[in-house]
Amino acid sequence: MWRPVWALIEREIMRMVRQRGRLVSALVRPLIWLLVIGGGFGALLGDEASGGYQRFLSPGLLGMVMLFAAMLVSLSVVYDKEFGIMRLLIISPLPHYWVVIAKTVSGMVVAVVQAGAFAVLLAGMGYIAGNVSLPLLVLGLFATALACASLGMLIAVWSSTLDNFAVVMNFVIFPVFFLSGALYPVQQLPDILKIVAVVNPFTYGVDLLKHALVSGLAPPLGPDFPVALDITVLLGFSIVAIFVACLRFSHESAAGLLDFLRG
Amino acid sequence: MQVHALPQSDASLAIQTTDLSKTYGGLQAVDRLQLAIPAGQFFGLLGPNGSGKTTTIHMLTTLARPTAGQANVAGHDILRESVAVRREVGLVFQESALDRTLTVDENLRFAGMLRNLSRATIRQRSDELLALFNLRERRHAKVATLSGGMRRALDIARGVLHRPRVLFLDEPTLGLDVPSRRGIWRFIEQLRREEVMTVFLTTHYLEEAEACDQVAFLASGRIIGAGTPESLVRKFGSYVLEIDGTDLGQIAELLSPRLGPCLKEGATASFRVLDERFSFAELQAELTDSVRAVRWRRPNLNDMFLWVNDPALNSGLDI
Repeated sequence: MWRPVWALIEREIMRMVRQRGRLVSALVRPLIWLLVIGGGFGALLGDEASGGYQRFLSPGLLGMVMLFAAMLVSLSVVYDKEFGIMRLLIISPLPHYWVVIAKTVSGMVVAVVQAGAFAVLLAGMGYIAGNVSLPLLVLGLFATALACASLGMLIAVWSSTLDNFAVVMNFVIFPVFFLSGALYPVQQLPDILKIVAVVNPFTYGVDLLKHALVSGLAPPLGPDFPVALDITVLLGFSIVAIFVACLRFSHESAAGLLDFLRG
Repeated sequence: MQVHALPQSDASLAIQTTDLSKTYGGLQAVDRLQLAIPAGQFFGLLGPNGSGKTTTIHMLTTLARPTAGQANVAGHDILRESVAVRREVGLVFQESALDRTLTVDENLRFAGMLRNLSRATIRQRSDELLALFNLRERRHAKVATLSGGMRRALDIARGVLHRPRVLFLDEPTLGLDVPSRRGIWRFIEQLRREEVMTVFLTTHYLEEAEACDQVAFLASGRIIGAGTPESLVRKFGSYVLEIDGTDLGQIAELLSPRLGPCLKEGATASFRVLDERFSFAELQAELTDSVRAVRWRRPNLNDMFLWVNDPALNSGLDI
């Protein structure tokens, strides 16, 4: 079962490496946010800690890298559908739900690789410093990447053309990113925005990364939720999203999944 | 009709269907199809566009669920053992389904890994197939740079990489020029010589179907004739009589009582002549000034195809 899954992951990695523009823009986009938005708002906040706001921003930007990377991989699912490659996947002797799982895992891997590269960049520039928990960082990257990839897959199985995927992306990526704790602490949000942020699973990914990177910052800038809650929400959301995506993907994958659950 | 299914399942059959049907909305795409194709046979499913050929292939390869009926492919039930069916079959789609961003080699490796073949096996099989299909020098080229014929060859190579027991070819030469089509057929013939496998072909290039052991004609989802290409053509008629004229109605009125309905195309009316000893000389004497030319010749699969394609004619076609 692992070789076919690896085939899909390898193909996504090959794509990522070949499309250098995609890789570069994946790193430049958050860098602009860090330097321009981070610098600008930091100055507005006027604390000695313009650097403090930028440090606060780094978990959210790692999340952003993963959100974009995972969405691009799920875009490749739609691309595969449109160019017939999906038929090659569903004619292979894999149970259909494995196609969904393998595509999700490859999205997660690509997202982790890109976020890892960005984390190295951040560390080199001095934005990751002080009290950093490496195990929590790794856990945060994988759990957030998985949740982003699952969200992407959920959208991809409902999009039949690249056009309607692009529309959905606009209505998903930006709200998910803005209405999370990525740019501002959740505790201080107005009530309505706070409710949305609390419902948004991406918030918990960013929060887990805050535990790893900025747990030392003064209260509103530190994490908002306990680590256990973050992990539970991320994994719970991923499992439900993958399950629903399998049900939607094909009759056979739905039937296969139900058989699998029955044992 | 040899393709009628036996009621019990038979291990020597590569493909067996019983009342296989598919409805899309209100449209009956495939209607109670009965097939019994022995292992190793080269089988051709012929029919006009929209007659249900691709739907049949999709059901037999588990890509589409039948609305009713059942089928066994390579000894496995298409509904209950879909993964096992997919392990045994190869499928070459009507439209090329290659990853254009990958090279020739990478496309084969990707497909091989999806089928759980080891890297060594993939390398060895790729070498053999690329040599057979004349693609060895292009193995590191991106698929986007290949010609249409080369892409089709690669599609087929990929379809047989895992040595399937049953290979489905859905219009394998659609959209190719004549030299590429000939090339593809040479490859398929060589493959059939080297590997024992059942080949299930759909096509509407009828000269290609003449190489088949058995063919069946599909019209509106139903088989209306089946047998060897020669026997079908024989049953279709001894001759095809073609008459060019200005008033086809009058010609039809004169001859239909004797020869049955005719196929009208432009200024030509074609009749099936079943009687081997039919006297064309007598006919000539009878025909009036409205006739510009009279020709008779042996029929071929193309004639059958045209008759099958005409809804007014295919119902009365007894083949």
